[in-house]
Amino acid sequence: MSRIYERLSTCVIEGDSEKAPRLVQNALDQGEAPKDVLDNGLVVGMGEVGARFKRGDMFVPEVLMSADAMQAGLEVLRPLLTATGVEMVGKIVLGTVKGDLHDIGKNLVGMMCEGAGFEVINLGFNVDPEKFIEAIKEQQPNIVGMSALLTTTMRAMWHTIRAIEEAGLREQVKIMVGGAPVDAAFAERIGADGYGSNAPAAVDLAKQLVGAA
Amino acid sequence: MRTNYRINSGVRFHMFSQDQLEELFLGVLHVLEYTGLDVHHEESRDILEKSGAWVDGLRVRLPSYMVKRALEMAPRSFTLFARDGNPKHDIHIGPGRAHFGPGPTCPNFIDVETLERRPYVKSDVPIVAKVVDALPNIDFCESLGTVSDVHPDLGALYEFAGMFPNTSKPIVAWSYDEYDSAAIHKIAVAEAGGQDAFEKCPNYVHYCEPLSPLVSTKEALDKLVFAARHRVPLVFTPCPIAGGTAPVTAAGMIIQGTAESWMGLTIAQTIQPGLPFIMGGVFSVMDMSSMILAYGAPELSLMMAGVTELAHYAGLPLWQTGGCTDSKTFDAQAMIEGSLSCFFSALTGGDLCHDVGYTESAMTGSVFQLAAMDEAIAYSRRITRGIEVNEDTLAVDVIHNVGPNGHYLKQQHTRRYYKTEFWYPNLHDRRNYEEWADMGKMTMKDRTIARVHDILATHQPSPIKPETEKVIQEVLEAAEDRVKQEA
Repeated sequence: MSRIYERLSTCVIEGDSEKAPRLVQNALDQGEAPKDVLDNGLVVGMGEVGARFKRGDMFVPEVLMSADAMQAGLEVLRPLLTATGVEMVGKIVLGTVKGDLHDIGKNLVGMMCEGAGFEVINLGFNVDPEKFIEAIKEQQPNIVGMSALLTTTMRAMWHTIRAIEEAGLREQVKIMVGGAPVDAAFAERIGADGYGSNAPAAVDLAKQLVGAA
Repeated sequence: MRTNYRINSGVRFHMFSQDQLEELFLGVLHVLEYTGLDVHHEESRDILEKSGAWVDGLRVRLPSYMVKRALEMAPRSFTLFARDGNPKHDIHIGPGRAHFGPGPTCPNFIDVETLERRPYVKSDVPIVAKVVDALPNIDFCESLGTVSDVHPDLGALYEFAGMFPNTSKPIVAWSYDEYDSAAIHKIAVAEAGGQDAFEKCPNYVHYCEPLSPLVSTKEALDKLVFAARHRVPLVFTPCPIAGGTAPVTAAGMIIQGTAESWMGLTIAQTIQPGLPFIMGGVFSVMDMSSMILAYGAPELSLMMAGVTELAHYAGLPLWQTGGCTDSKTFDAQAMIEGSLSCFFSALTGGDLCHDVGYTESAMTGSVFQLAAMDEAIAYSRRITRGIEVNEDTLAVDVIHNVGPNGHYLKQQHTRRYYKTEFWYPNLHDRRNYEEWADMGKMTMKDRTIARVHDILATHQPSPIKPETEKVIQEVLEAAEDRVKQEA
């Protein structure tokens, strides 16, 4: 059955959102398990996309198309995965911090993490510390991811981490941060557990943080 | 003498035709009228609605007459004043005048002693301000960094408090919120001798940023409204990223970014007619591999030239960008990118060119990059000053007098002109090889470092008034109390 997986991963690499759901359905019709379709098809495709992006062989607009194709395939799989109670790699709550209305980078991280088998709860942008706290309580994620594009809004990451500490929730989540002005030293200074310099790096970091790397 | 013979023909650059400028201008009006912006500021929405805007939830659309009226009210020409009355440090904004200065908010700084990259700290602020004060081709001051070793909400205030006593050149002050804006204003007004005196001779400019695409944030407008009410000259500068937060094409990007800036213009002029308003911003491309906003890209200079022409067409001064680099260190890339963007900016006559001294795509501020660019700006200014053509400079009679096989060294004509016709470098080396070798074979980098160290060891900026010192202390204490109470 490796042929169908190869076609599926190629379809993700090529960013074909129309074909992806059809191929997922084909695989399921042929009796493949939903979890196998995810791991051997979609995740393999996104893994290759990440590798090519890192090498400079793919550019952001192409990566976004691949992520869309992966999402389209995942739409078909998601109800089945939930129904069969399949363990995902981990759960990530993701948001752009308060005062910052940028969405693109964080969404790319979200899509690529889903592509790596994480369940991702995307809180959107301009997210209050309280909303992060609420989501931690409700969703019980392994990881909280925060993003900021502006040097002026970076400090909201600091505010958010302090608020999570004060709510007594810091111990139960790992926190990763990213965004153009953020670097590893800043991440350390504000007490985050890690920093991803771009979307594939964030995926690697998330895997490390849940011990799946 | 012939009529209309003596003209000042500095070297200038024009890219767009009048037809193209009109198309761009109308494109901006169209976006503001039909698409509008999300304005996350209730008071501003009310102000705009009362003067004719269409408001639907957050979305505000401006009929074009409102924008044109705002453009008419905003001055093309005005002066920013040195806080100490030194006329050499005044900035006269107007056609054909390009001014330069650093940018704000880099998280990192190149340490002036170790030359290593590290987080920007409070004690870096006076260093930057002193270097700005001393460099002859740097006209205004920003801090080149975000202070990391104070409470995270107070970084902007500590920056201003650190810059103001250490340079009398006009400061372009950014801030986090209206608290900062009010505290900064208090300091500036204390030195000016009251609000009235400040309004006559403003000694700083307030800097705010709308958000691309097409959003005016609450924080930006809190600051803008404060500046407008207190008649603080305003920079309103978007930072659209082509292909990311703005169209991939330069023309589309210019239209969108200008629309973002002109929403701020319209709010500001409605509150305070005639407020000096400097249109922004930083227009460059997203590197599609690294996802960074490229500060050394040729497209930056090109797009900034385009937006400068559009601003001037509309009768506004522009917040230009140049002297910056994506390089991580003081190397050939940094010099090529920084110098070419300074030169291009000077050619456009963009009014206040900022971000001089940015390295690593705005992640790290460097006074060494700044000092090297001082040289590049001086070089550029000599070129843009152009060639003066009149009876005396044509020198036909001098040529006749010297004749074949003579020399010009002893001519009075030579003595009259050699100091102004020629540019004399500060950092560039023109010695012969032996002399250069005898003096230790110093590179441009060595000489730049030496110059910065010399400035820091010897330069004394003019002091602020003792009462302003006291106000700075009070303002900082009040701000520390406020953040303590909030915690």
